[in-house]
Amino acid sequence: MTLRWHYFLVPSLVVTLLLLLTSQYVFLKGSFYQDLGLGLIGDELTPDNYVKFFTDPFYLRSLWLTIKVSLLATAGTLLLGYPVAYVIARSRPRLAMFMMAAIVISSFMSIIIKVFGLMIIFSSTGWINQTLLGLGLIDRPYTVIGNLSGVVVGLIHFCLGFAVLLLYSVIQTIPRSLEEAAQIHGASRASVLWRVVFPLSLPGVIVGALTLFNLNMGAFTSAALLGGGRIFTLPVLIQQTVILDVKYSMAGTIAAILLASVILINLMSIFVLRRMRATKWVIT
Amino acid sequence: MGHHVSGPDRPSAARLPRRLLPYRVTRWIAASLLHGWVLFAYVLLLAPLIVLAGASFDGAENYAFVNFPPENPTFEWYFEIPRRYYESIGVSIALAGTTAVLSVVFGVPAAFGLVRAVLPGRPLLSAIFRSPLQIPSVVIGISFLHLYYAMGIAMGVNPAGSFAGLAIGHFFHSMPYVTGTTVAVLQRFNTALEEAAISLGASRWRTLRRITLPVIMPGVYTGALYSFMVSFGDIPISIFLTTPQFTTFPVEIFLDMDQGLEPPMLAASTLVIVFSLGVMLLVQKVVGLEQILRSAGARK
Repeated sequence: MTLRWHYFLVPSLVVTLLLLLTSQYVFLKGSFYQDLGLGLIGDELTPDNYVKFFTDPFYLRSLWLTIKVSLLATAGTLLLGYPVAYVIARSRPRLAMFMMAAIVISSFMSIIIKVFGLMIIFSSTGWINQTLLGLGLIDRPYTVIGNLSGVVVGLIHFCLGFAVLLLYSVIQTIPRSLEEAAQIHGASRASVLWRVVFPLSLPGVIVGALTLFNLNMGAFTSAALLGGGRIFTLPVLIQQTVILDVKYSMAGTIAAILLASVILINLMSIFVLRRMRATKWVIT
Repeated sequence: MGHHVSGPDRPSAARLPRRLLPYRVTRWIAASLLHGWVLFAYVLLLAPLIVLAGASFDGAENYAFVNFPPENPTFEWYFEIPRRYYESIGVSIALAGTTAVLSVVFGVPAAFGLVRAVLPGRPLLSAIFRSPLQIPSVVIGISFLHLYYAMGIAMGVNPAGSFAGLAIGHFFHSMPYVTGTTVAVLQRFNTALEEAAISLGASRWRTLRRITLPVIMPGVYTGALYSFMVSFGDIPISIFLTTPQFTTFPVEIFLDMDQGLEPPMLAASTLVIVFSLGVMLLVQKVVGLEQILRSAGARK
């Protein structure tokens, strides 16, 4: 086939570049205008907003909070998702298919619906609290909504399906014969998992962790709703700055800083992958 | 042959430390821990959907909290879904459909170009096509808001709050899914099939239409499903580009949640769960579950 395939690229490339460059240019430029509030902006380009971000403890706290929450959620997701991915990778094909289908269904559902369900489960008058109260394990309703643990739970839920799919594709590449070999030499199931499978999957896990961290940094819906309007991670702060304060430039500045941190993490993950390839940690 | 290699000492068995518990017991404990952990993960993943759907049938007198399992099962909340929810569900479906079609129209040719064109800088091109996935959705939302605002000043047309404005933002975000899944099937495509068709006298276009496209269609459908679902559930982009009068279903529910959880919201959400399951089932019928699963880990 000698169709001129490069012509096929042109329309898509033009559209993508046009949208990418104009939107990013306009918003990055906008983030350098002085913000007068109420949707009004100054005429001159100044780094005022950025100076404000890095000197005002409120914004710095928000940045640190976003990083902290993302770290916790990433760790939790890996801890919860890794065994699931391992079990799926080592299950009989029919069962594995069934387990994967459940994961895919859950990840395709609208995030608002999943968060809604979580809020019902965890609300102070919800199911878990009623059960615990009924059993006499707690003396007053306890809720995670509106505090840090709620946000972390929400983010773990948000990432879990994706994490399982990602880790599955990593674990699947480890030949089962290695595990059998270890078992024949007397290793227990636990030590096979800990000393054979886990080390071999480590490069994939590290890259996966960076991807998940990235996803968590930008997560809006779970953080906004399960934070109950009291936990201001950067994405929540961006929306609040636009909707409540009507400060478009300042919101642009926060978004630019969020974008910069995410790009930094991406570059890091590319770098890590390169190093691992160079040291023959991973084959692909 | 046939002789056992059994030395007098049987070293490995003799040197093994004495176990606290019999091997079978420890193995059983390890397996139950692992399976219990996995079960817990699945409960966490699926419980919200089940609880939400269950609670929508709850007809208890006092609606201060949501009961699960439902007391006095009832359908009454389904009759009290406000009209604006149906309207916003309609907007969401139309938007997701438009997004999926646009993503296919632009994403599939891009995939052909990326896989088949002989050109330098392919990694760069593929990075450009993937770049929207690297930008957090909330940043896409605010950057398009800025862009539309600037367009309003420069050209007098501000697409924010219009269907077109939403669709363009969603399309920008979801085209990479279609490009990604189509690239994956194209790379596996056996070009000998095309050569055979051409040597039998088919034109290039006829070969593309009758041989190549049918083979790669599952990848295209899967990508379209991804972009449909991503657009259908999106909040962080839409929240900046909608108005109270014209909004999508997820944004509408998101904003209504500030006023507290009302039973009709549960009922409407349950309808959306059923709709989403239906879409997934339909695509799965066409392309097969395996195709969807194969490309599932590849996104982002």
